[in-house]
Amino acid sequence: MTALSTPAALDADVGAGAAGDGGSSRHGRAYRALEPSRTGRTVRAVLLFLAALVTLFPFYAMVVLSFKPTGAVVMPEALLPWPLSTEAYEHVLGAESVLRWTLNTLVYSVVSVVAVLFLASLAGYAFARKRFPGKEVMFWSFIAMIMVPYHVTLVPSFIVISEAGGVNTYWGLILPTLANAQAVFLMRQFIKSLPDELFEAAMLDGCSEWRMYVSMVLPLIKPILATLGVFVFLWHWNDFLWPLIVGQSSDMRTLTTGLASLNAENAPLNVVLAGSVVAFVPIFMAYLVGQRYFTEGVTMTGVKG
Amino acid sequence: MTVSGTATASRTAPRPASRRAMRRREARIGLLFVLPVLLLFLAFRFGPAIAGGVLAFTDYTIGAETSWTGLDNLRRMVDDPLFWRALRTTLIYSVLAVPLSILAALGMALLVRRSFRGVKLFRSIFFLPVVTSLVLAGIVFTWIFSAGGPWSSLLGAVGLPEGSWLSDTTLVVPALVIVAVWTRFGFGMLILLARLQDIPRELEEAALTDGANAWHRFRHIVLPELKPALFFLAVIETTVSFQVFDTVYVMTGGGPAQSSYMLVFQLYDQAFRYFDFGYASAIGLALFVMTLVVALIQRLTLGRDR
Repeated sequence: MTALSTPAALDADVGAGAAGDGGSSRHGRAYRALEPSRTGRTVRAVLLFLAALVTLFPFYAMVVLSFKPTGAVVMPEALLPWPLSTEAYEHVLGAESVLRWTLNTLVYSVVSVVAVLFLASLAGYAFARKRFPGKEVMFWSFIAMIMVPYHVTLVPSFIVISEAGGVNTYWGLILPTLANAQAVFLMRQFIKSLPDELFEAAMLDGCSEWRMYVSMVLPLIKPILATLGVFVFLWHWNDFLWPLIVGQSSDMRTLTTGLASLNAENAPLNVVLAGSVVAFVPIFMAYLVGQRYFTEGVTMTGVKG
Repeated sequence: MTVSGTATASRTAPRPASRRAMRRREARIGLLFVLPVLLLFLAFRFGPAIAGGVLAFTDYTIGAETSWTGLDNLRRMVDDPLFWRALRTTLIYSVLAVPLSILAALGMALLVRRSFRGVKLFRSIFFLPVVTSLVLAGIVFTWIFSAGGPWSSLLGAVGLPEGSWLSDTTLVVPALVIVAVWTRFGFGMLILLARLQDIPRELEEAALTDGANAWHRFRHIVLPELKPALFFLAVIETTVSFQVFDTVYVMTGGGPAQSSYMLVFQLYDQAFRYFDFGYASAIGLALFVMTLVVALIQRLTLGRDR
């Protein structure tokens, strides 16, 4: 249901292609006429500008307020970019807890990305290219699990982890999130679409299975590894409910649960927002560099922004 | 289990000449490669999915004796005014959030459909909230909706009553809806934009030469082409709305006076504040049924269309 593959529309030129050379089009006048008129363009520009303002305002507020001295939250002065103060950042970056939460978030995200990519590509390869008993049943029951909401399995997963002593541990945090049906599905589809000849040739060469996986499959699936990797990273970086129930002690919180706890403890707004900026900057930087992977990943897997 | 049985069945080195040995070797490798994921699924997806159904009929709490309680949890749920309230609030929230975010997505997709200078920048801006953590969004919007915050000032400026929407029992859900639209419309925009690309130019050009104005072209050419994508979006957005949690936890804690108390929040509350895992599982079951109903409606409607 959620696996809808879409091209990265953000980068694509929709419609008029290179707008400058409209005259060279085969479609001539009609081609041009589909473009909005001068008034249409003005209206569009105004609407877009307003929408961008509304979209960006919360980010602006987050950054500006994080640079305010404590207590300066009264409108409209709060939204002016001065006076600036790095008080909140000194507090946040000096606090051991925030550094610890950042480390926890990094461990949670990076280990999960590596493990999901490795396990899902192995399984996807087997599902796409190998014949073994029970293959179809296994594959389709994996896919069926995409339909079962995360929250239905939340309580039993927690009980499993809790009985196994995984509360407040990294493995307890990470392990359950590695059962990623969408990742297996995407890997299988991608590897299935690769030309058969490649695999046959490698078989005839007498390549060992492991060598074949490492030196042939992995390089071939690089594009999907990148897209899926970015998506899994984003998902874990922003994940909230699972870290909230498994990482209960304050030194096992991630940035999201840590910031939520600061917020709940009525910490000063500038401090909470400075923490939010710290949590947001890595994602923002990555988004600037590899936007295509974000849009592909999120649209390919459908849910969970 | 069959896995280990097959894996040890052919330990002897396979001779290239023997087809059967090769088959067995292939099966062994295949199972070996699938095994880690299979174990993870058994422990954390299949097992818990079944357990989630079973737990709903017990009074499980960690570290205590567990006994069967039959339909007690479901009966309790039916008699629990708070459950009905959470269900109603979740439905109201979804009925508002789903159409509004789809409408915003559609509007934005149409605005950034054609190429012009700066279009990529606008698309990037509109997608930015989608990659932002809901917790961060919740923290910032808590301030935006606070008494004396920007939203209240804006309302005051246009002559509407000022005040904090988050401490108003009727306005707290609309406030959460606004956050939902802000965080979700970029996703819908992207899906619709991809569909808009696929509409053949010739269709619209032909309509143009026939004298169809912009509204007619949208109504009779663009909209029908977008219909499957809009439907897909409606299902995804409904599922996402049913499962709203992060913003409720951060912004309202279910309040004021439980007026933003929704299903997943109740599930969390029952399981991890009252440690009533049985009752929480019953609520999980209700959520599952709701998701299933939405998927079924999708199936039926799409089936009829084809």
